[in-house]
Amino acid sequence: MQEDDRLDLELHRRVLVGDRPAFEGLYRRYAPAAYGLAFRVTGQVSLAQEVVHDAFLALWRAPEAYDPGRGPFRSFFLSLVHHRAVDMVRKEERLRRRAERASNLERGSGEDVAVEVVEDAYLSTRRKEVREALLTLPPDQRTVVELAYFGGYTQAMIAEELGIPVGTVKTRTLAAMRKLRRALYRED
Amino acid sequence: MNEDHDRIEELLAGYVLLGLSGEDAIEADRLLSEHVPSCPRCRDAMAGLHAVAGDLALAVSPVQPPDLLLPRIRRGVAETPVRRRHRASLVAAAAGVAALVGLAGLSVQLGNRVSRTEQQRGRLLAAMEALQQPGTSPVSLQSQGETAAGLVEVSGPGVELMYVIGRDVPMPAQGRVYQLWLGSNGIFVRVEDGEFVPDDGLVLLELTVDAGRYDEILVTEERIGDTPASPSHLGHTWHAFLARAA
Repeated sequence: MQEDDRLDLELHRRVLVGDRPAFEGLYRRYAPAAYGLAFRVTGQVSLAQEVVHDAFLALWRAPEAYDPGRGPFRSFFLSLVHHRAVDMVRKEERLRRRAERASNLERGSGEDVAVEVVEDAYLSTRRKEVREALLTLPPDQRTVVELAYFGGYTQAMIAEELGIPVGTVKTRTLAAMRKLRRALYRED
Repeated sequence: MNEDHDRIEELLAGYVLLGLSGEDAIEADRLLSEHVPSCPRCRDAMAGLHAVAGDLALAVSPVQPPDLLLPRIRRGVAETPVRRRHRASLVAAAAGVAALVGLAGLSVQLGNRVSRTEQQRGRLLAAMEALQQPGTSPVSLQSQGETAAGLVEVSGPGVELMYVIGRDVPMPAQGRVYQLWLGSNGIFVRVEDGEFVPDDGLVLLELTVDAGRYDEILVTEERIGDTPASPSHLGHTWHAFLARAA
C-alpha cells in the first residue's frame, strides 16, 4: 500500500468519528482533482461546483459508504464525483454541446488548467501514469472510453455517434479497460 | 462458462463507466446483486474495473475550486446531525440481534449518557427491551435476493421511535447506501436519517418516526449522496407490511 493511501485511510477513519479537520484534510487533497473532473464532465463552473459540493457532503454524511477492502479511497471518492457529474449532465441534457470536447482528451485537458494547482507528488505521478496508459490504447478503444467516462455517453449513444454496433462498443470498452488495468496495476 | 464471464465482464466494464442503459443496466444491477458477490472471478474483475475507473479521473488536470466552495461545504457539515457520525461503532455493538423495532417512550432511556459508546449500548439495550414490551408484534422484513440477512419490525400504538437492527446484512454495491422508506397506500416517503451502511453485516439505527401512520416499510439501495423522491429498487431490498395503528 502506498503511503498516500495510508494517509487517506487515516483521514477517513477520523471522518468516521466526525473529525472535521480530517474531513478538510481530504478536501485539500482531493478538491482540485474532483473539481477538475467535474468541470471536465459538466463543462460548466456552476455545475462543477454543485457536483463537488454534493460529493464532499455525501462523504461527510455517509463516510461508511467507503469500504477500505474494496480499493483506495481515491478511487472511491473520484468515482463518486464522476457519478454525480454524469448524472448532472444527463439531467441538463447538454451532451451534444460537449461532444467535441469529450472526444478529444488532450485538447480538453488543456482548458481546465485555469489555476495552477500544487498537488501531492503521488497524485502527480499517478496522473502521468494514467495519461500514458490512455495513450497506449488504440484510438478506437480510447474513444469509446473517453466518450463514456468524460462525455457521459451511454454505450447506445456511442454506437449511434460512431455509427458502429453496440456490441462493438462493448467489446472495445472491455478491451480498453483490461489494457488499462494491466498498465496501471502491472498485471500480466 | 468463460464466455459467460466475458459477457458479464463486458457489462461490468460498461457499468463502471456509467455507460449502460435499458436492459443492460437492469442486467448489470441483477448481476451485481445476485452473482458478483459470490463469484471470486467476477469480484476480482469488478475490483479491477472500479480501480481503473477511479484512476481515469486523474487523466484530467486538477483545477483549484473557487474560494467560496469550502465555506459552503463547511456550512453543510455544520448542519449535519452529529449522532449519525458514529454509526459504524454503534452497529458493532449489535452483534447477534436481528430486529427492527418501533416503540414510544424509549428515548428517555437514551438521554444524558456520558459517552457515545454508552449511548449506543443503551440504544441497543433499549431496542432489545422493546422486543419484550406488551402490545408489540414483530414483523420480518422479507429480503429480495438474499435470505441470510435478518430484519424484523415490531410496532405498537403511539409509535414515535423506531429502531432498525439487522445482522448479516450485505454491503450495498460500491457507491451506494441503504435507504429506509415508509409507505402509505402504496406511496413511499424517504425517511430522513434513514440512510445506512452495515458494519460487518450489523446495523442499528434509531429513528424518530410515527410508524403508525404507515402500512409498509421498505429498504432499498440508493446512490450515495442522492435524495431520491421514490425508491429505486436496485440491488438488495427488504419489505414488510405494517399493522397500521387504530
